[in-house]
Amino acid sequence: MSDATRALARLLQLASPALPVGAFSYSQGLEWAVEAGTVSDEPSARVWIGDCLEFNLGRFEAPLLSRLLEAWQGEDAPAVATWNELYLAGREAAELRAETVQMGHSMLRLLRELGDFPPQILAGLALVHEPCFPAVWSAAAAAWRIPHEDAITAYLWAWLENQTIAALKVVPLGQSAGQRIVLELGARVPALAQRALTLGPEAWSNLAPGFGIACSRHETQYSRLFRS
Amino acid sequence: MQRDPVCEQGWHASLDLRFERREAATILAQRDHRGPLRVQKALYPEGVAVCHAIVLHPPSGIAGGDRLEIAVTAGDGAHALLTTPGAAKWYRSAGPWAMQSLDFEAGAGAALEWLPQEAIVFDGGRAAMRSAIRLAAQARYLGWEVVCLGRRAANERFANGELRFTTRIEQAGKLLWIEQGRLPGGSPLLASPVGLAGFSVFGTLLAAGGRIAPALLAACREIVPREPLAQRGLTVLPRLLVARYLGHSSEAARDWFVGLWHLLRPALLGREARLPRIWST
Repeated sequence: MSDATRALARLLQLASPALPVGAFSYSQGLEWAVEAGTVSDEPSARVWIGDCLEFNLGRFEAPLLSRLLEAWQGEDAPAVATWNELYLAGREAAELRAETVQMGHSMLRLLRELGDFPPQILAGLALVHEPCFPAVWSAAAAAWRIPHEDAITAYLWAWLENQTIAALKVVPLGQSAGQRIVLELGARVPALAQRALTLGPEAWSNLAPGFGIACSRHETQYSRLFRS
Repeated sequence: MQRDPVCEQGWHASLDLRFERREAATILAQRDHRGPLRVQKALYPEGVAVCHAIVLHPPSGIAGGDRLEIAVTAGDGAHALLTTPGAAKWYRSAGPWAMQSLDFEAGAGAALEWLPQEAIVFDGGRAAMRSAIRLAAQARYLGWEVVCLGRRAANERFANGELRFTTRIEQAGKLLWIEQGRLPGGSPLLASPVGLAGFSVFGTLLAAGGRIAPALLAACREIVPREPLAQRGLTVLPRLLVARYLGHSSEAARDWFVGLWHLLRPALLGREARLPRIWST
Protein backbone atom coordinates (compact mmCIF):
# COMPACT_ATOMS: atom_id res chain seq x y z
CA MET A 1 0.00 0.00 0.00
CA SER A 2 1.43 3.39 -0.99
CA ASP A 3 1.55 6.32 1.44
CA ALA A 4 -1.13 8.07 -0.62
CA THR A 5 -3.47 5.10 -0.39
CA ARG A 6 -2.85 4.81 3.35
CA ALA A 7 -3.64 8.52 3.75
CA LEU A 8 -6.84 8.06 1.74
CA ALA A 9 -7.99 5.22 4.00
CA ARG A 10 -7.36 7.39 7.06
CA LEU A 11 -9.20 10.30 5.45
CA LEU A 12 -12.25 8.12 4.77
CA GLN A 13 -12.24 7.22 8.45
CA LEU A 14 -12.08 10.93 9.43
CA ALA A 15 -14.88 11.92 7.06
CA SER A 16 -17.17 9.03 7.98
CA PRO A 17 -20.51 9.69 9.70
CA ALA A 18 -19.45 6.79 11.97
CA LEU A 19 -16.79 9.03 13.54
CA PRO A 20 -18.05 9.02 17.14
CA VAL A 21 -18.27 12.78 17.75
CA GLY A 22 -22.03 13.22 17.71
CA ALA A 23 -22.28 15.27 14.49
CA PHE A 24 -25.60 13.60 13.71
CA SER A 25 -27.30 15.41 16.60
CA TYR A 26 -26.78 18.91 15.14
CA SER A 27 -28.65 20.71 12.35
CA GLN A 28 -26.95 24.14 12.62
CA GLY A 29 -30.12 26.18 12.27
CA LEU A 30 -31.63 24.01 9.53
CA GLU A 31 -34.30 22.72 11.89
CA TRP A 32 -35.41 26.30 12.59
CA ALA A 33 -35.32 27.13 8.87
CA VAL A 34 -37.82 24.29 8.37
CA GLU A 35 -39.96 25.49 11.30
CA ALA A 36 -39.97 29.03 9.85
CA GLY A 37 -40.98 27.74 6.40
CA THR A 38 -37.76 28.92 4.76
CA VAL A 39 -36.91 25.32 3.93
CA SER A 40 -39.84 23.18 2.83
CA ASP A 41 -38.74 20.96 -0.06
CA GLU A 42 -35.75 19.73 -2.01
CA PRO A 43 -34.99 22.99 -3.89
CA SER A 44 -35.20 25.17 -0.76
CA ALA A 45 -33.11 22.67 1.23
CA ARG A 46 -30.49 22.78 -1.51
CA VAL A 47 -30.44 26.59 -1.40
CA TRP A 48 -30.09 26.72 2.41
CA ILE A 49 -27.36 24.08 2.63
CA GLY A 50 -25.58 25.36 -0.49
CA ASP A 51 -25.57 28.94 0.78
CA CYS A 52 -24.25 27.90 4.20
CA LEU A 53 -21.53 25.98 2.37
CA GLU A 54 -20.69 28.88 0.09
CA PHE A 55 -21.02 31.88 2.40
CA ASN A 56 -20.06 30.50 5.76
CA LEU A 57 -18.12 27.23 5.62
CA GLY A 58 -16.33 28.12 2.39
CA ARG A 59 -15.25 31.59 3.47
CA PHE A 60 -14.54 31.13 7.14
CA GLU A 61 -14.35 27.58 8.43
CA ALA A 62 -12.51 26.10 5.43
CA PRO A 63 -9.72 28.72 5.22
CA LEU A 64 -9.40 28.57 9.01
CA LEU A 65 -9.09 24.78 8.79
CA SER A 66 -6.32 25.31 6.25
CA ARG A 67 -4.42 27.50 8.76
CA LEU A 68 -4.94 24.89 11.46
CA LEU A 69 -3.50 22.17 9.21
CA GLU A 70 -0.46 24.37 8.55
CA ALA A 71 -0.05 25.10 12.24
CA TRP A 72 -0.12 21.37 13.12
CA GLN A 73 2.29 20.60 10.33
CA GLY A 74 4.66 23.21 11.74
CA GLU A 75 4.11 21.87 15.29
CA ASP A 76 3.04 25.37 16.24
CA ALA A 77 0.62 24.87 19.15
CA PRO A 78 0.38 28.63 19.95
CA ALA A 79 -0.84 29.23 16.37
CA VAL A 80 -3.40 26.45 16.82
CA ALA A 81 -4.60 28.17 19.98
CA THR A 82 -4.94 31.50 18.15
CA TRP A 83 -7.00 30.01 15.30
CA ASN A 84 -9.05 28.07 17.82
CA GLU A 85 -9.90 31.27 19.69
CA LEU A 86 -10.82 33.01 16.44
CA TYR A 87 -13.09 30.15 15.40
CA LEU A 88 -14.91 30.14 18.74
CA ALA A 89 -15.37 33.93 18.65
CA GLY A 90 -16.86 33.56 15.17
CA ARG A 91 -19.51 31.06 16.32
CA GLU A 92 -22.45 33.40 16.36
CA ALA A 93 -24.97 31.57 18.53
CA ALA A 94 -24.83 29.63 21.79
CA GLU A 95 -25.75 26.25 20.29
CA LEU A 96 -23.19 26.58 17.48
CA ARG A 97 -20.49 27.25 20.03
CA ALA A 98 -21.59 24.45 22.33
CA GLU A 99 -21.69 22.07 19.35
CA THR A 100 -18.11 22.63 18.25
CA VAL A 101 -16.79 22.47 21.82
CA GLN A 102 -18.63 19.18 22.45
CA MET A 103 -17.47 17.67 19.17
CA GLY A 104 -13.91 18.85 19.79
CA HIS A 105 -14.01 17.27 23.24
CA SER A 106 -15.32 13.95 21.86
CA MET A 107 -12.76 13.94 19.06
CA LEU A 108 -9.94 14.59 21.52
CA ARG A 109 -11.09 11.74 23.74
CA LEU A 110 -11.17 9.50 20.69
CA LEU A 111 -7.61 10.43 19.68
CA ARG A 112 -6.39 9.66 23.20
CA GLU A 113 -8.08 6.27 23.07
CA LEU A 114 -6.63 5.32 19.69
CA GLY A 115 -3.43 4.24 21.38
CA ASP A 116 -0.73 5.06 18.85
CA PHE A 117 -1.59 8.70 18.25
CA PRO A 118 1.52 10.97 18.19
CA PRO A 119 2.10 12.16 21.79
CA GLN A 120 3.52 15.53 20.72
CA ILE A 121 0.22 16.39 19.02
CA LEU A 122 -1.77 15.33 22.08
CA ALA A 123 0.57 17.49 24.16
CA GLY A 124 -0.08 20.41 21.76
CA LEU A 125 -3.83 19.91 22.08
CA ALA A 126 -3.55 19.97 25.85
CA LEU A 127 -2.34 23.59 25.53
CA VAL A 128 -5.48 24.68 23.67
CA HIS A 129 -8.30 26.01 25.82
CA GLU A 130 -11.72 24.67 24.72
CA PRO A 131 -10.48 23.01 21.53
CA CYS A 132 -13.08 23.35 18.79
CA PHE A 133 -13.89 20.51 16.41
CA PRO A 134 -11.79 21.82 13.47
CA ALA A 135 -8.76 22.22 15.78
CA VAL A 136 -8.86 18.56 16.89
CA TRP A 137 -9.96 17.16 13.53
CA SER A 138 -7.07 18.95 11.80
CA ALA A 139 -4.67 17.48 14.38
CA ALA A 140 -5.67 14.00 13.24
CA ALA A 141 -5.47 14.94 9.55
CA ALA A 142 -1.98 16.39 10.07
CA ALA A 143 -0.77 13.40 12.12
CA TRP A 144 -1.93 11.05 9.38
CA ARG A 145 -0.18 13.13 6.69
CA ILE A 146 -3.26 13.84 4.65
CA PRO A 147 -2.69 16.46 1.95
CA HIS A 148 -4.35 19.70 3.07
CA GLU A 149 -6.56 20.14 0.04
CA ASP A 150 -7.87 16.60 0.41
CA ALA A 151 -8.48 17.15 4.13
CA ILE A 152 -10.48 20.33 3.53
CA THR A 153 -12.44 18.67 0.72
CA ALA A 154 -13.35 15.75 2.99
CA TYR A 155 -14.22 18.05 5.92
CA LEU A 156 -16.63 20.09 3.78
CA TRP A 157 -18.08 16.95 2.23
CA ALA A 158 -18.70 15.40 5.66
CA TRP A 159 -20.44 18.60 6.75
CA LEU A 160 -22.56 18.57 3.58
CA GLU A 161 -23.57 14.96 4.09
CA ASN A 162 -24.46 15.61 7.72
CA GLN A 163 -26.63 18.62 6.80
CA THR A 164 -28.34 16.58 4.11
CA ILE A 165 -29.13 13.76 6.54
CA ALA A 166 -30.61 16.40 8.89
CA ALA A 167 -32.74 17.67 5.98
CA LEU A 168 -33.98 14.14 5.25
CA LYS A 169 -35.25 13.92 8.82
CA VAL A 170 -36.80 17.36 9.35
CA VAL A 171 -38.09 18.56 5.96
CA PRO A 172 -38.54 15.55 5.37
CA LEU A 173 -36.98 14.44 2.08
CA GLY A 174 -36.57 11.07 0.39
CA GLN A 175 -33.23 9.29 0.10
CA SER A 176 -32.87 10.06 -3.62
CA ALA A 177 -33.53 13.76 -3.04
CA GLY A 178 -30.76 13.69 -0.43
CA GLN A 179 -28.37 12.02 -2.85
CA ARG A 180 -29.17 14.63 -5.52
CA ILE A 181 -28.33 17.39 -3.02
CA VAL A 182 -25.02 15.75 -2.07
CA LEU A 183 -24.17 15.21 -5.73
CA GLU A 184 -24.96 18.77 -6.81
CA LEU A 185 -23.48 20.63 -3.85
CA GLY A 186 -20.61 18.18 -3.60
CA ALA A 187 -19.52 19.37 -7.03
CA ARG A 188 -18.82 22.80 -5.51
CA VAL A 189 -16.64 21.47 -2.71
CA PRO A 190 -13.30 21.04 -4.56
CA ALA A 191 -13.23 24.69 -5.71
CA LEU A 192 -14.03 25.90 -2.19
CA ALA A 193 -11.31 23.68 -0.73
CA GLN A 194 -8.78 24.90 -3.23
CA ARG A 195 -9.57 28.55 -2.55
CA ALA A 196 -9.40 27.94 1.21
CA LEU A 197 -5.70 27.09 0.88
CA THR A 198 -4.78 30.63 -0.12
CA LEU A 199 -7.58 32.89 1.14
CA GLY A 200 -6.02 35.35 3.61
CA PRO A 201 -7.72 36.10 6.95
CA GLU A 202 -8.60 39.65 5.84
CA ALA A 203 -10.80 38.15 3.11
CA TRP A 204 -12.57 35.63 5.34
CA SER A 205 -16.26 36.15 5.85
CA ASN A 206 -18.66 34.78 8.43
CA LEU A 207 -21.26 37.49 7.88
CA ALA A 208 -24.51 35.53 7.56
CA PRO A 209 -27.25 37.21 9.61
CA GLY A 210 -30.04 34.92 8.41
CA PHE A 211 -28.00 31.90 9.52
CA GLY A 212 -27.21 33.53 12.87
CA ILE A 213 -30.87 34.31 13.48
CA ALA A 214 -31.93 30.74 12.60
CA CYS A 215 -29.35 29.32 15.02
CA SER A 216 -30.52 31.70 17.77
CA ARG A 217 -34.19 30.99 17.22
CA HIS A 218 -33.57 27.27 17.39
CA GLU A 219 -32.70 27.72 21.09
CA THR A 220 -36.37 28.29 21.92
CA GLN A 221 -37.94 26.09 19.25
CA TYR A 222 -40.73 24.16 20.93
CA SER A 223 -40.42 20.77 19.29
CA ARG A 224 -37.00 19.70 18.09
CA LEU A 225 -34.92 16.69 17.15
CA PHE A 226 -31.53 18.40 17.01
CA ARG A 227 -29.26 20.13 19.48
CA SER A 228 -28.51 23.07 17.14
CA MET B 1 6.63 63.37 -1.67
CA GLN B 2 4.15 61.38 -3.63
CA ARG B 3 0.65 61.25 -2.20
CA ASP B 4 -1.84 58.51 -2.47
CA PRO B 5 -4.03 59.54 -5.43
CA VAL B 6 -6.98 57.52 -4.21
CA CYS B 7 -7.24 59.24 -0.84
CA GLU B 8 -6.09 62.70 -1.82
CA GLN B 9 -9.54 64.04 -2.59
CA GLY B 10 -11.12 62.71 0.58
CA TRP B 11 -11.38 64.08 4.09
CA HIS B 12 -9.17 62.55 6.70
CA ALA B 13 -10.88 63.14 9.98
CA SER B 14 -10.05 61.80 13.38
CA LEU B 15 -11.43 62.19 16.84
CA ASP B 16 -9.72 61.08 20.03
CA LEU B 17 -11.73 61.12 23.21
CA ARG B 18 -10.66 60.14 26.68
CA PHE B 19 -13.13 59.90 29.53
CA GLU B 20 -11.91 59.65 33.12
CA ARG B 21 -13.50 59.01 36.45
CA ARG B 22 -13.07 61.84 38.98
CA GLU B 23 -14.69 60.90 42.28
CA ALA B 24 -18.34 60.28 41.39
CA ALA B 25 -18.11 61.96 38.01
CA THR B 26 -16.99 61.02 34.51
CA ILE B 27 -15.20 63.87 32.80
CA LEU B 28 -14.18 64.32 29.19
CA ALA B 29 -10.48 64.64 29.96
CA GLN B 30 -9.17 64.78 26.43
CA ARG B 31 -10.72 65.74 23.13
CA ASP B 32 -8.51 65.99 20.07
CA HIS B 33 -9.77 66.24 16.56
CA ARG B 34 -8.47 66.62 13.09
CA GLY B 35 -10.69 67.42 10.13
CA PRO B 36 -14.48 67.42 10.25
CA LEU B 37 -15.22 65.28 13.29
CA ARG B 38 -16.25 66.96 16.53
CA VAL B 39 -17.67 66.63 19.98
CA GLN B 40 -18.93 70.05 21.03
CA LYS B 41 -19.22 69.45 24.74
CA ALA B 42 -19.66 66.94 27.47
CA LEU B 43 -23.32 66.53 28.44
CA TYR B 44 -24.74 65.30 31.74
CA PRO B 45 -28.46 64.61 31.23
CA GLU B 46 -28.51 61.88 33.89
CA GLY B 47 -26.16 63.37 36.47
CA VAL B 48 -22.38 63.55 36.77
CA ALA B 49 -21.69 59.80 36.74
CA VAL B 50 -22.31 59.32 33.02
CA CYS B 51 -20.84 61.61 30.41
CA HIS B 52 -22.75 61.82 27.13
CA ALA B 53 -21.08 62.95 23.94
CA ILE B 54 -22.60 63.58 20.53
CA VAL B 55 -20.20 62.79 17.72
CA LEU B 56 -20.72 65.29 14.92
CA HIS B 57 -19.62 64.90 11.36
CA PRO B 58 -20.60 68.25 9.83
CA PRO B 59 -20.28 67.20 6.16
CA SER B 60 -23.15 64.80 7.03
CA GLY B 61 -22.16 62.40 4.27
CA ILE B 62 -19.15 60.18 3.74
CA ALA B 63 -17.72 60.20 0.24
CA GLY B 64 -15.28 57.90 -1.52
CA GLY B 65 -11.77 58.62 -0.23
CA ASP B 66 -12.95 59.88 3.16
CA ARG B 67 -11.39 58.33 6.21
CA LEU B 68 -12.98 58.71 9.63
CA GLU B 69 -11.17 57.47 12.71
CA ILE B 70 -12.82 57.61 16.08
CA ALA B 71 -10.89 56.47 19.13
CA VAL B 72 -12.57 56.49 22.52
CA THR B 73 -11.08 55.46 25.83
CA ALA B 74 -13.05 55.18 29.04
CA GLY B 75 -10.55 55.05 31.89
CA ASP B 76 -11.03 52.91 34.99
CA GLY B 77 -14.49 53.41 36.47
CA ALA B 78 -15.62 55.96 33.85
CA HIS B 79 -19.00 55.68 32.10
CA ALA B 80 -19.44 57.29 28.69
CA LEU B 81 -22.33 57.23 26.24
CA LEU B 82 -21.77 58.21 22.63
CA THR B 83 -24.35 58.84 20.00
CA THR B 84 -24.73 60.59 16.65
CA PRO B 85 -27.25 63.26 15.63
CA GLY B 86 -28.38 61.69 12.36
CA ALA B 87 -27.95 58.87 9.91
CA ALA B 88 -24.49 58.43 8.42
CA LYS B 89 -24.82 58.58 4.64
CA TRP B 90 -22.22 56.75 2.62
CA TYR B 91 -22.37 58.22 -0.86
CA ARG B 92 -21.88 56.57 -4.21
CA SER B 93 -18.19 56.45 -5.03
CA ALA B 94 -16.44 56.88 -8.34
CA GLY B 95 -13.89 54.33 -7.16
CA PRO B 96 -12.13 55.10 -3.87
CA TRP B 97 -13.18 53.46 -0.65
CA ALA B 98 -14.59 55.39 2.27
CA MET B 99 -13.51 54.11 5.66
CA GLN B 100 -14.71 54.40 9.20
CA SER B 101 -12.64 52.99 11.97
CA LEU B 102 -13.84 52.79 15.57
CA ASP B 103 -11.38 51.96 18.33
CA PHE B 104 -13.01 51.69 21.72
CA GLU B 105 -11.23 50.87 24.92
CA ALA B 106 -12.66 50.55 28.41
CA GLY B 107 -10.64 50.16 31.60
CA ALA B 108 -11.44 48.27 34.79
CA GLY B 109 -15.00 48.92 35.93
CA ALA B 110 -15.61 51.28 33.00
CA ALA B 111 -18.66 51.30 30.76
CA LEU B 112 -18.90 52.44 27.17
CA GLU B 113 -22.13 52.80 25.21
CA TRP B 114 -22.19 53.36 21.45
CA LEU B 115 -25.71 54.17 20.28
CA PRO B 116 -25.41 55.66 16.80
CA GLN B 117 -28.17 56.31 14.33
CA GLU B 118 -28.19 54.13 11.26
CA ALA B 119 -25.67 54.00 8.43
CA ILE B 120 -27.13 54.24 4.94
CA VAL B 121 -24.90 52.95 2.18
CA PHE B 122 -26.05 54.40 -1.13
CA ASP B 123 -26.10 52.24 -4.21
CA GLY B 124 -22.57 52.44 -5.62
CA GLY B 125 -21.04 53.30 -2.24
CA ARG B 126 -17.79 51.61 -1.25
CA ALA B 127 -17.86 51.53 2.51
CA ALA B 128 -15.40 49.89 4.89
CA MET B 129 -16.60 49.86 8.49
CA ARG B 130 -14.24 48.54 11.10
CA SER B 131 -14.87 48.35 14.86
CA ALA B 132 -12.44 47.12 17.47
CA ILE B 133 -13.50 47.04 21.10
CA ARG B 134 -11.04 46.21 23.85
CA LEU B 135 -12.29 45.72 27.37
CA ALA B 136 -10.47 45.28 30.64
CA ALA B 137 -11.56 42.42 32.87
CA GLN B 138 -14.31 44.33 34.66
CA ALA B 139 -15.38 46.61 31.79
CA ARG B 140 -18.65 46.54 29.88
CA TYR B 141 -19.68 47.60 26.40
CA LEU B 142 -23.13 48.07 24.96
CA GLY B 143 -23.42 49.10 21.35
CA TRP B 144 -25.28 48.59 18.13
CA GLU B 145 -24.97 49.14 14.41
CA VAL B 146 -27.87 49.45 12.00
CA VAL B 147 -26.91 49.34 8.33
CA CYS B 148 -29.30 50.11 5.49
CA LEU B 149 -28.14 49.05 2.03
CA GLY B 150 -29.53 51.38 -0.62
CA ARG B 151 -31.87 54.30 -0.02
CA ARG B 152 -35.02 52.40 0.72
CA ALA B 153 -37.18 55.55 0.64
CA ALA B 154 -36.10 56.18 -2.94
CA ASN B 155 -36.73 52.51 -3.78
CA GLU B 156 -33.03 52.12 -4.43
CA ARG B 157 -31.42 48.68 -4.39
CA PHE B 158 -27.82 48.03 -3.45
CA ALA B 159 -26.78 46.79 -6.88
CA ASN B 160 -23.28 48.28 -7.14
CA GLY B 161 -20.48 49.15 -4.76
CA GLU B 162 -19.49 47.14 -1.72
CA LEU B 163 -19.73 47.05 2.04
CA ARG B 164 -16.87 45.60 4.06
CA PHE B 165 -17.59 45.04 7.66
CA THR B 166 -15.46 43.91 10.60
CA THR B 167 -16.31 43.90 14.29
CA ARG B 168 -14.19 42.40 17.01
CA ILE B 169 -14.48 42.49 20.77
CA GLU B 170 -11.87 41.29 23.18
CA GLN B 171 -11.82 41.30 26.93
CA ALA B 172 -8.67 40.94 29.00
CA GLY B 173 -6.87 39.76 25.87
CA LYS B 174 -9.42 37.06 25.04
CA LEU B 175 -11.41 37.33 21.83
CA LEU B 176 -15.15 37.31 22.54
CA TRP B 177 -16.54 38.12 19.12
CA ILE B 178 -15.47 38.39 15.52
CA GLU B 179 -17.69 39.10 12.59
CA GLN B 180 -16.38 40.12 9.24
CA GLY B 181 -17.72 40.06 5.76
CA ARG B 182 -17.95 41.55 2.34
CA LEU B 183 -21.19 42.45 0.68
CA PRO B 184 -20.72 43.50 -2.93
CA GLY B 185 -23.71 45.23 -4.52
CA GLY B 186 -26.00 42.64 -6.07
CA SER B 187 -24.22 39.84 -4.18
CA PRO B 188 -26.20 36.58 -3.88
CA LEU B 189 -25.64 36.91 -0.11
CA LEU B 190 -28.11 39.83 -0.12
CA ALA B 191 -30.92 37.58 -1.33
CA SER B 192 -29.81 34.37 0.38
CA PRO B 193 -31.88 33.12 3.34
CA VAL B 194 -28.64 32.64 5.30
CA GLY B 195 -27.53 36.17 4.39
CA LEU B 196 -29.80 39.22 4.32
CA ALA B 197 -32.76 37.19 3.04
CA GLY B 198 -33.78 39.98 0.67
CA PHE B 199 -33.95 42.60 3.43
CA SER B 200 -32.26 45.98 3.07
CA VAL B 201 -31.58 46.60 6.77
CA PHE B 202 -29.46 44.55 9.09
CA GLY B 203 -28.58 45.40 12.64
CA THR B 204 -26.53 43.93 15.44
CA LEU B 205 -26.59 44.83 19.11
CA LEU B 206 -23.73 43.57 21.25
CA ALA B 207 -23.63 43.75 25.04
CA ALA B 208 -20.26 42.57 26.29
CA GLY B 209 -18.39 42.09 29.50
CA GLY B 210 -21.17 41.23 31.93
CA ARG B 211 -23.04 38.09 32.88
CA ILE B 212 -26.41 37.71 31.18
CA ALA B 213 -28.86 35.86 33.41
CA PRO B 214 -31.28 33.46 31.67
CA ALA B 215 -34.23 35.54 32.94
CA LEU B 216 -32.81 38.65 31.29
CA LEU B 217 -32.41 36.81 27.97
CA ALA B 218 -35.98 35.53 28.28
CA ALA B 219 -37.25 39.07 28.96
CA CYS B 220 -35.36 40.40 25.94
CA ARG B 221 -36.97 37.71 23.79
CA GLU B 222 -40.42 39.03 24.75
CA ILE B 223 -39.74 42.31 22.95
CA VAL B 224 -41.29 42.15 19.51
CA PRO B 225 -40.24 44.49 16.69
CA ARG B 226 -43.00 46.64 15.24
CA GLU B 227 -42.10 45.61 11.69
CA PRO B 228 -44.21 42.47 11.27
CA LEU B 229 -42.06 40.64 8.71
CA ALA B 230 -38.74 41.43 10.31
CA GLN B 231 -36.57 38.57 11.53
CA ARG B 232 -34.71 38.77 14.77
CA GLY B 233 -32.72 36.53 17.06
CA LEU B 234 -31.07 36.73 20.46
CA THR B 235 -28.36 34.55 21.87
CA VAL B 236 -25.89 34.55 24.74
CA LEU B 237 -22.23 33.62 24.32
CA PRO B 238 -19.53 33.79 27.01
CA ARG B 239 -19.70 37.35 28.41
CA LEU B 240 -21.70 38.52 25.41
CA LEU B 241 -25.30 39.00 24.33
CA VAL B 242 -25.94 39.21 20.59
CA ALA B 243 -29.16 40.56 19.09
CA ARG B 244 -29.68 40.54 15.34
CA TYR B 245 -32.27 42.20 13.18
CA LEU B 246 -33.21 41.83 9.53
CA GLY B 247 -35.93 43.99 8.03
CA HIS B 248 -36.69 46.93 5.79
CA SER B 249 -37.02 49.68 8.39
CA SER B 250 -34.02 51.28 10.09
CA GLU B 251 -36.38 52.97 12.55
CA ALA B 252 -37.98 49.68 13.53
CA ALA B 253 -34.54 48.10 13.99
CA ARG B 254 -33.44 51.00 16.18
CA ASP B 255 -36.66 50.94 18.19
CA TRP B 256 -36.18 47.22 18.85
CA PHE B 257 -32.61 47.83 20.00
CA VAL B 258 -33.80 50.69 22.21
CA GLY B 259 -36.36 48.32 23.74
CA LEU B 260 -33.60 45.81 24.49
CA TRP B 261 -31.39 48.58 25.83
CA HIS B 262 -34.11 49.48 28.35
CA LEU B 263 -33.73 45.97 29.80
CA LEU B 264 -29.99 45.53 29.35
CA ARG B 265 -28.79 48.87 30.68
CA PRO B 266 -30.16 48.53 34.21
CA ALA B 267 -29.00 44.90 34.38
CA LEU B 268 -25.49 45.41 33.04
CA LEU B 269 -24.69 49.03 33.83
CA GLY B 270 -26.90 49.61 36.86
CA ARG B 271 -28.65 52.63 35.39
CA GLU B 272 -32.10 53.25 34.01
CA ALA B 273 -32.26 53.81 30.26
CA ARG B 274 -33.42 57.21 29.11
CA LEU B 275 -33.03 58.13 25.49
CA PRO B 276 -30.55 60.89 24.67
CA ARG B 277 -32.55 64.04 23.82
CA ILE B 278 -30.92 64.34 20.43
CA TRP B 279 -32.90 61.27 19.40
CA SER B 280 -36.22 63.06 19.69
CA THR B 281 -35.26 66.17 17.72
